[in-house]
Amino acid sequence: MVDEKKDIKPKKRSTATRAAASIGPMVKEFITGTLKARAEGKQKLAYTFIVCHHDEILRAMDVVPLWTENFAGICGAKRDAERFLQRAESLGLSRSLCTYALCGIGFDQWREELGDMPPNAPWGGLARPDFMISSGQILCDPRTKWYQASQQFMPDVPIYNIDLPYPLFQRDRDHREVWDYYHKYIVKQLRGLISFLEEQTKKKMDYDRLSELVDLTDRTWNLIDETYSLRKAIPCPMGTGDAMNTMVPLCFMMATETAYNFFLDLKKELEEKIAKGEGEVENEKYRLMWGGGLPSWYALNDFNYFNSKGASFPVETTYRMVVNLNEMDIPQTNDPVEHIAWRWLGFWTFWYDKAKQRPDSEPDVERLINWIEEYKIDGVVMHEAFSCRTWHVGLLWQLHQLSKIYKPIPIFEIGKDGEKRKVYRELPSLVLESDIIDITSYSEVDTRNKIDAFIETLESIRLNRAN
Amino acid sequence: MNYHKNNIFEEIFRLYRDYGSRVKRLNEEGKKIIGYVCSFVPLEIIHASGCIPFRIRGDLNEPVTKADSILEPIICPYYRSCFELCLKERYNFLSGIVIPHACDSMVRSYSVWSYSLPYSYFHFVNVPTVCGESSFEFFNSELKTFIKSLERFLNTKITEDDLRRAIRIYNMNRDLIKNIYEFRKTSPPLISGTELIMTLIVGCSLPVEEANQLFDEVIKELKIRKSSPLRKGPRILIDGPCLDNIELIKLVEDLGGNVVADTICYGTRDQFPMTDETKNPIEALAERYLDKLNCPKTYRENKAGSFEGDIANRFWDIGKYAKQFNVDGAILYIYKYCDPFGFEVPARKAYYNSINVPLLHIEDIYSSGTIGQLRTRIQAFLEMIE
Repeated sequence: MVDEKKDIKPKKRSTATRAAASIGPMVKEFITGTLKARAEGKQKLAYTFIVCHHDEILRAMDVVPLWTENFAGICGAKRDAERFLQRAESLGLSRSLCTYALCGIGFDQWREELGDMPPNAPWGGLARPDFMISSGQILCDPRTKWYQASQQFMPDVPIYNIDLPYPLFQRDRDHREVWDYYHKYIVKQLRGLISFLEEQTKKKMDYDRLSELVDLTDRTWNLIDETYSLRKAIPCPMGTGDAMNTMVPLCFMMATETAYNFFLDLKKELEEKIAKGEGEVENEKYRLMWGGGLPSWYALNDFNYFNSKGASFPVETTYRMVVNLNEMDIPQTNDPVEHIAWRWLGFWTFWYDKAKQRPDSEPDVERLINWIEEYKIDGVVMHEAFSCRTWHVGLLWQLHQLSKIYKPIPIFEIGKDGEKRKVYRELPSLVLESDIIDITSYSEVDTRNKIDAFIETLESIRLNRAN
Repeated sequence: MNYHKNNIFEEIFRLYRDYGSRVKRLNEEGKKIIGYVCSFVPLEIIHASGCIPFRIRGDLNEPVTKADSILEPIICPYYRSCFELCLKERYNFLSGIVIPHACDSMVRSYSVWSYSLPYSYFHFVNVPTVCGESSFEFFNSELKTFIKSLERFLNTKITEDDLRRAIRIYNMNRDLIKNIYEFRKTSPPLISGTELIMTLIVGCSLPVEEANQLFDEVIKELKIRKSSPLRKGPRILIDGPCLDNIELIKLVEDLGGNVVADTICYGTRDQFPMTDETKNPIEALAERYLDKLNCPKTYRENKAGSFEGDIANRFWDIGKYAKQFNVDGAILYIYKYCDPFGFEVPARKAYYNSINVPLLHIEDIYSSGTIGQLRTRIQAFLEMIE
């Protein structure tokens, strides 16, 4: 490990878009708002997780969500997670577990011990919740275990755990054979959540408001899809570095006008940039896909480093947690809860049919292939965060599957004009290794050496193609 | 198969060493063998289909070489070892594999398994994370889907009677195991922990009828056994997830401990819960596999309203077996990268403290290379509680 002063505040990452630059203050305002809400005591505050499709339900019940993963990410980005991680370790929790959760549990234990925020808590700290909403789903064990562990230090704070499964991809099965009972179950789980919130807030759900918020969310999904699709332009007007900012309204502010308006502004900004031919990078040489893995929040500057080499990131799979609902094949219903459940299933099964049509493909692989083609990608970058199994297991295999299609040899194909021609479909990949917030796993020098080597490979392929 | 041997444990050791040799032969005779990992796979359904369930093991001594290029090292090392052995064709007698929703390591690598291994049948059983009324409804449907999937694969029909018969024979199996556990209650125990875990591991590699016959023989042997194979020592409970080898327990016993109880997956977690034979078979299986298996993967609501009450409810099995088997200390043995167990460590520690059972917590990486370190820590622990 290279000797680095990791406690030094990193240079602020420069953004390509005004919209992305506005995110920092937005998050700070959001965190401050939760602390104010705690102090005023008029609204109930809930610890919870992103990508549970319960945003509209929380907003309709006027519950303030405290996104615990977001707070851990802030600690990581401010390079101030270590003291909370160490506190968690002192309780007997292994550093090999999800470090978001370790950071959160360490913070909770400290706050509860003091009866006050830990000293110099990032952006004022994470407010004490009235209740916690966890979610087992099928994609993340820590989401069930984290709050249960935190409850040791705040036993008076109840937990509601929603189960939100989806049918796992099986090549020999049409997922529609089983999704009726999945849907029925998810609806019951969400209705259970509503009952829990009604009990906690002493208020009844306003279903008209819920319907409005579901409609707003659907429109926001479509708007985000349209906005992000603009990044197909050459040069690409916005990269993954910025998308790691714009994920904030996408993941943490869904079902709000703020999120919708944010993406209206972003769309307009991207359209203007495209009209002017402005790219994320002044002289775009390579178009890369962030093909998997959460970012190292303490090292977002690495995106600028890629940019400095002429590499832009038009697309990423991380935090692209929406699809266009017009392209989603799900049953229609006027019941907002039933719609949320169908949308959940539609999202997770979105690539299933397409994946079945291609030999060796699989939904995650299929998404990569489609976006490689649509966004004209030259190489794939992934990040393996050691502490998170949820988003990082299977990435190596996905690259392995991709290598069956994108081979490092010229391939002859017949064009639409019937002419035989030589094409190069080689697609180099780079796997970075570190963590989401544990900076002790990171070496800037090693990471940048890897990036340099990768850029050299891209350059040599570019020259080969030109010849 | 005839298990009438002078010393049944010699035969068990042979079957342990040549793990899978019996089903391999049965496969050559035309039987279909279905591999599984984890206690959440309803074996009764596989048995009712006419196939033989076979529990896939890893190998502490086998380095991971083939799996390295396609499966990240950040998953459960035990599960990764299982995959490695499948890639190396150690289990090429399998016709298929069933994987349940037990942990992220299993869920997130399902495609890696199903695309990389040459078996013709793969099925994922989606076990809910919670135990509410709607979860049981869902799980009933999921079990029916599993049944249909096997029927389609085998071109057969699984009847309610088939399921009832399978439930009965697996309940017999679990009754026999409970009988064997009774021999651990004396001090020193009449069966060593090493013999017992080896017996249970071997049982998972045989047709259940043969496992029952084997367990009968073990009981007969133990009934006539005059003395314990162990010297009297601290009585130890092993707590944790799946322990598919004898090494840890043998180490504890080599160092003078008596391993007399457990809550591990090859042991009481999996083997003690019974299926209700009076109920509709699918509902009874859903109840057993969803509610009765006490795995941290399943979220249990804190109904007590206090931390102390919650851990007493969640870890009831530890308290019960610690008392029943009169333990002096416990070893909580967890694999690195295991989120379901790992997040419970502080709560488990608090629980052991509340029942006054000294605890040694070990995080390990599933490799014979760590035995030396374990020896030092376990020796110190045994000296401390002696």
